[in-house]
Amino acid sequence: MKVIEKSTLIGKRIAKLDAPEKAAGMTRYVHDLDLPGQLHARILRSTRVHARIKRIDTRRARALAGVHAVLTAADVPYQRPLGVGKDQLPLKGDKVRSLRDEIAAVAADTEAIAEAALALIDVEYEDLPTLTDPADALKPGAPVIHGETLASPAPHDALKPGEPGDAEAHRHNVAMTFDYAQGDLAAGEAESDVIVDDWFRLHYVTHCCMGVSGIIAEFDRSGNLTLHSNTQVPFLHKREFAEILGMDPGRIRIIQPPIGGGFGSKLDIYPFEPICVFLAKATRRPVKLVFSREEEFIASPTRQPVLLRLRSGAKKDGTLTFRDCETLHDNGAYTSWGATTPFVMMQTISSLYRVPHCKYHTTAVYTNNPYAGSFRGYGNLQATFAVEQQIDELAEKLGIDPLEMRLKNAQDPGEITPQGMHFQTCGLKECLRTAAEVSDYRARHAAALAAQHSPQRYKRGVGMASMLHVGGGAKIYPSDGCGTILKIDDFAHVTLITGASEIGQGSETVLAQLVCEELGIPLDTVSVVNNDTDITPWDVGVHASRTTFIGGNSAIGAARKAKAKVLAAAAKTTGIPEAELELRAGHIVRTATGEALVSLAKLLRSLHFSDKAELVMTTFYYEPPSKHQDKSFKGDVSAAYAWATQVVEVEVDTDTGVVRLLKVTGAHDVGRVLNRLGIEGQIEGGIVMGQGYAITEDLMVDGGVVRNPGFRDYKLVTAPEIPEMEVRFIETMDGEGPQGAKGVGEAPAICIAAATANAICNATGVRIRELPFTPEKVYRALHRAGVPAGPTGGD
Amino acid sequence: MAVEHYWAPTSLSDALEHLRGGDVTVLAGGTDLMPQTQAGRVSLERGLLNVRRVAELHRIERVDGAVRIGALCTITEIMRDPLVGEHFAMLADACDHFASDQLRNAATIGGNVCNASPAGDTLVPLLVLDAEAELASKPGARVERRRVPLADFFVGPGRTRRAPDELLCAIRLPLPPPGFVGRFFKFGTRPALDIAAISIGIGGVRDGRTLVQARVAYGAVAAVPLRARRTEAALEGAALDAATADGVAATARDEVRPIDDLRASAWYRKELVFNMTRRILHDVAEA
Repeated sequence: MKVIEKSTLIGKRIAKLDAPEKAAGMTRYVHDLDLPGQLHARILRSTRVHARIKRIDTRRARALAGVHAVLTAADVPYQRPLGVGKDQLPLKGDKVRSLRDEIAAVAADTEAIAEAALALIDVEYEDLPTLTDPADALKPGAPVIHGETLASPAPHDALKPGEPGDAEAHRHNVAMTFDYAQGDLAAGEAESDVIVDDWFRLHYVTHCCMGVSGIIAEFDRSGNLTLHSNTQVPFLHKREFAEILGMDPGRIRIIQPPIGGGFGSKLDIYPFEPICVFLAKATRRPVKLVFSREEEFIASPTRQPVLLRLRSGAKKDGTLTFRDCETLHDNGAYTSWGATTPFVMMQTISSLYRVPHCKYHTTAVYTNNPYAGSFRGYGNLQATFAVEQQIDELAEKLGIDPLEMRLKNAQDPGEITPQGMHFQTCGLKECLRTAAEVSDYRARHAAALAAQHSPQRYKRGVGMASMLHVGGGAKIYPSDGCGTILKIDDFAHVTLITGASEIGQGSETVLAQLVCEELGIPLDTVSVVNNDTDITPWDVGVHASRTTFIGGNSAIGAARKAKAKVLAAAAKTTGIPEAELELRAGHIVRTATGEALVSLAKLLRSLHFSDKAELVMTTFYYEPPSKHQDKSFKGDVSAAYAWATQVVEVEVDTDTGVVRLLKVTGAHDVGRVLNRLGIEGQIEGGIVMGQGYAITEDLMVDGGVVRNPGFRDYKLVTAPEIPEMEVRFIETMDGEGPQGAKGVGEAPAICIAAATANAICNATGVRIRELPFTPEKVYRALHRAGVPAGPTGGD
Repeated sequence: MAVEHYWAPTSLSDALEHLRGGDVTVLAGGTDLMPQTQAGRVSLERGLLNVRRVAELHRIERVDGAVRIGALCTITEIMRDPLVGEHFAMLADACDHFASDQLRNAATIGGNVCNASPAGDTLVPLLVLDAEAELASKPGARVERRRVPLADFFVGPGRTRRAPDELLCAIRLPLPPPGFVGRFFKFGTRPALDIAAISIGIGGVRDGRTLVQARVAYGAVAAVPLRARRTEAALEGAALDAATADGVAATARDEVRPIDDLRASAWYRKELVFNMTRRILHDVAEA
C-alpha cells in the first residue's frame, strides 16, 4: 500500500515563480517588446512652470524624414479630461500648469528621430505668475491654476472618495477637501492634562521603479485597441480609456507584460497613455512610448507632500483624549490619487490607538508643482510620522515610558472604533511587546536618555512606532472583488486564471501556493495567467495591500469547487465516501490512513474520457464582507486590518549630522505567514523603502522645477546602508483571511520615518519634524538646539 | 557638432599629431565625457581622439625620486598598485571612495585630473602629495614635454592649464619624505556612488609633537580643488594639541570659499571643514 503523509505548503519558504527568468535577465518587460511595424513616440513637455501657450509650430518636425505623426491638442479635438480629478487633458492646448505638461507628441521610425523632431517644435509661451508654495495658494490674489472650465467629463460613477472641488473651488485653487470628526473635541481638550501641538512637514519622494513608465498601443483593422501596459488596475483602465477615447470599453484589451515595479505609481491613468493611443490612431501603426529615466523623475507621480498640524492630548495616566489634525496637501497642477490620501490618513488619526475625540481636515490646493499619486502606504507614512512622534512627546511630558503609553492606548481584538473599523483580529499589543523585547527597547531607551548630554561624537538611540493599515482590501469602488477561473487538464496540471495582477510583489506565487494547498498538488504543476483583460476575470486592481487577501480568497474558492468535483468523482470510482477522502501529492488518498487510491491525473482522465465526458473547470468571484464608508467617512471599509510595531536603532554623528540605521526590529501582525520567503522579502524591501523616505530620498522641487531628476542626486539607499533587520511575525489567524492571512504589502514602509524621528530624539534630545533626515538637516537641528559637534577626542 | 573624425592611435606621437590639428575631444575612460555630452553640457569637437590604446600612458613606474602614474591608469589599478600603496596610501584611500566599482574600472586618473571638477576625488590627495602634471605636445617634429605643479594646473571648474594641443601623459608624485603621514576624508551622504560635499587631505612629517612640511587641500569648497596655504601656515610646526587643532580648523573654515548647491549649503560645508579638520588633526596627533 502506498501511503502519502499529509503535508502543507503554508508557511514554507517558496521561491517566486518568476525568479529564474528575472535572475537570468530573460523577463520581457514592455521595454523589450517590439511589434512588427511599430513606431516610437516621444512627448514634448513644457519648459515653463505656468504659461499660456500662444502658438505651437510643428511644421519643421513634421517635415523631418522618418516622422509619421506630430500631434498637438488641436489635432485631437476629441480628447477628454482624465485622471482622478478629471482636471487635465492629455495634450495641453491653452496653457501649461507645470513642467511636466504635455504639449506635443511625435511618432517616428526610431526613438532618436522622434527625439530630434521634438527639438524642431517651436512653442511660444506667455508666462503667467507662478504659484509654487502651497501656503500661498489660498491667499487673496494668488495666481489661479484652474480658472477655466474644462470640457465636461463623461458621466462617471462616484468611484472616488472625498469632495472634489467644483469650478468655484477651483477658482480659489482648492482641488479637494476632506473633513472627519468623532466625539467632541472640546470635551477631549477639557479632560486633557497635557496637550502637544506641532507642525510636521513631509517632502516629495518618488517611486523609482526599476522599469520606467511605458506603453504600446495598437489598433486592429476592426478598430479594436490593444494596450501593452504597466497598469496596476487593468479593468478600471479599460473603462477610463474608453471614456477618454470615446470608445466602447468592450473593444479595449489590456495586456500587462511583466511590470518592473509599481508601488502605487500605476494606479491612475496618465497623459502619456492616451497620447500613445492618439498616435497609434493617427498613424495606423503600433506605437511604443517608453520614458527616459529623467522623464520618469519629472513626469511620473510623487508621494503626496503634506504640511500637517497635529494637536494631541492625554490624561495624567497616559490615556489619550483627543487628536485634532489639519493638513495642507500640495496637490500640484492636477489631481491624482495623492489628493485622496486623507482617506487613509484619517484612519490613523482616528484609530491608531484609542482616541475618543477627533477632528480631521485636509485642503488640497493647486500649485504649479508636480502632482502626487498613490504610493505604498498611501498617506499613512505621513500621518504616522506625526502621530507616533506625539505619542513619544506626550509620554515624555507625562513621565511615562513610551512603550507603556502605547500599550495603555492600544486596541484589542473585537473593538469597533468610532470611525466604524471593526478589528476582528488585532495583534497590536503583541506587536508592541514583541518588538520591544526583541530589540531590548526599554534598556536601550533608558541608556540613551542617560547618555544624551555626554560629550560623545556618536550618539545612539532607539525609537518606536506602530501602524494600522487595511489588510483585507478597501471598499472604495462599487466592488472590491476578484474573479478566478481554474481548470485542471488531463495530466493534473492546473491553470489558475486570476484577475489579480502581478507587479513584482509575488502574488502569482502565493496564489499558486494557495491553490496547491487546496488541491494537494506540487507547485510546479500550476501555471498562472494574470495579465490579459480578454482572458482574466475582473479584479479591481493592485492597491490597498489587497491581492493576497482578495485574490487569495478568490483562488481558494475556485480550488475548493474543483476539489469538491474531484472528490465526488473519486467517491463514485472508489466507493469510499467523499468525507473520508483527501487530495495529497497529486493523489486521492484515504484520509485516515493516507493510502493512495488513484492518481489525480488518472482520475481526471477517466472523468474526461468516460461517458460523462467531463472536464474540471471552475469559477469563483470573491467579494469581501467590508462596507463602503458613509458620507462622514465612517464604516468598516476593510475585511481585516494589519498592525505592526517597528523599533529603529540609530547612530547620530554630531560632527556631521549623519544618521545611520543600525538595526530595525519589526513585529508584524500578518494574520498568518503563507510564503515565508515572500513575506520576508516584502517586509525587508518595505523597511528599506521606509529608510529611503526617512533619511536619503528627496525629490527637490524648487519653483516648480525638479532639481535632481536622476539617480546621481536623488539618493536611493544603497546596499551598505541597509541596517540589520530582525522581523517577527505575529499570527493572529484572521477568520476572513485566506488561510488566516492579512495583506501587508504596504505595512513595512509605514513606521520607519516615525520610529527614526523618535530614535534621533532619544539619542540627541532633538526632535525633528521635517523629512528627510539628511545630514545637513540633522546637523542644523542639532546646532540650533545647542548640541555641540563632538569635541576632539570625545569618543 | 557631429563628430567627423575618430582616431584611436597606439603611439603618443600619433595622438599628439591628431591633437595638433585642433577641434579635438580627448576620450579616455569616458565616465565624465559620456554623461556630459549626453546631458548636453559638453559638445564633442569635430575630431574624437580615443587615447586608450596608447600603451605608454598606461604604466605606473618608479623614476628617480618619484613615481610616475600614467594618465590612462584606472582608479582600480591605482587603488591596487603596490607602489602607490607603499608611498601614497592617501591616494589609494581616495580611490577607494571613488564612485562605484564599475566606474573605477573605467575611469582614469588623467580623466579625473583633466575634468577638473572641484570635487574630483583624486585631486585633493594629489595636491597634498605635491603632484605634477606631465604634459606632452608635438608642435614640430619632436614630442615636447613640460611639467606643471598640480597646485597651478586648475583654473576653474572644468578648466586647466593644458593647452588644446597638449595631452596629459602622467601624474608625477615625488616620494614623500621619511615620517610622512597623510590623511584623506571624503564626506558624502553614503558610502559609495556619491559626489563629495567636501573632501579634505592633510599631510606632513611628524616631528615630535608637531607637523612640519604641512600640506592641506580641500575639495568641493572652491572653484578649483584648493591647496590651503594659510591653513598650512597655521599648522606648520605647531604643537598638535587641541588648541592648535581648533585654530587650524578655524583658519581652514575662513580660507575655503564654498557655494550652495544640491549637495550642501556653503554654511554646512564650512562647518564640515571645521569639524573634520579638527578631527583629522586629532587623529594624526594620536597616530
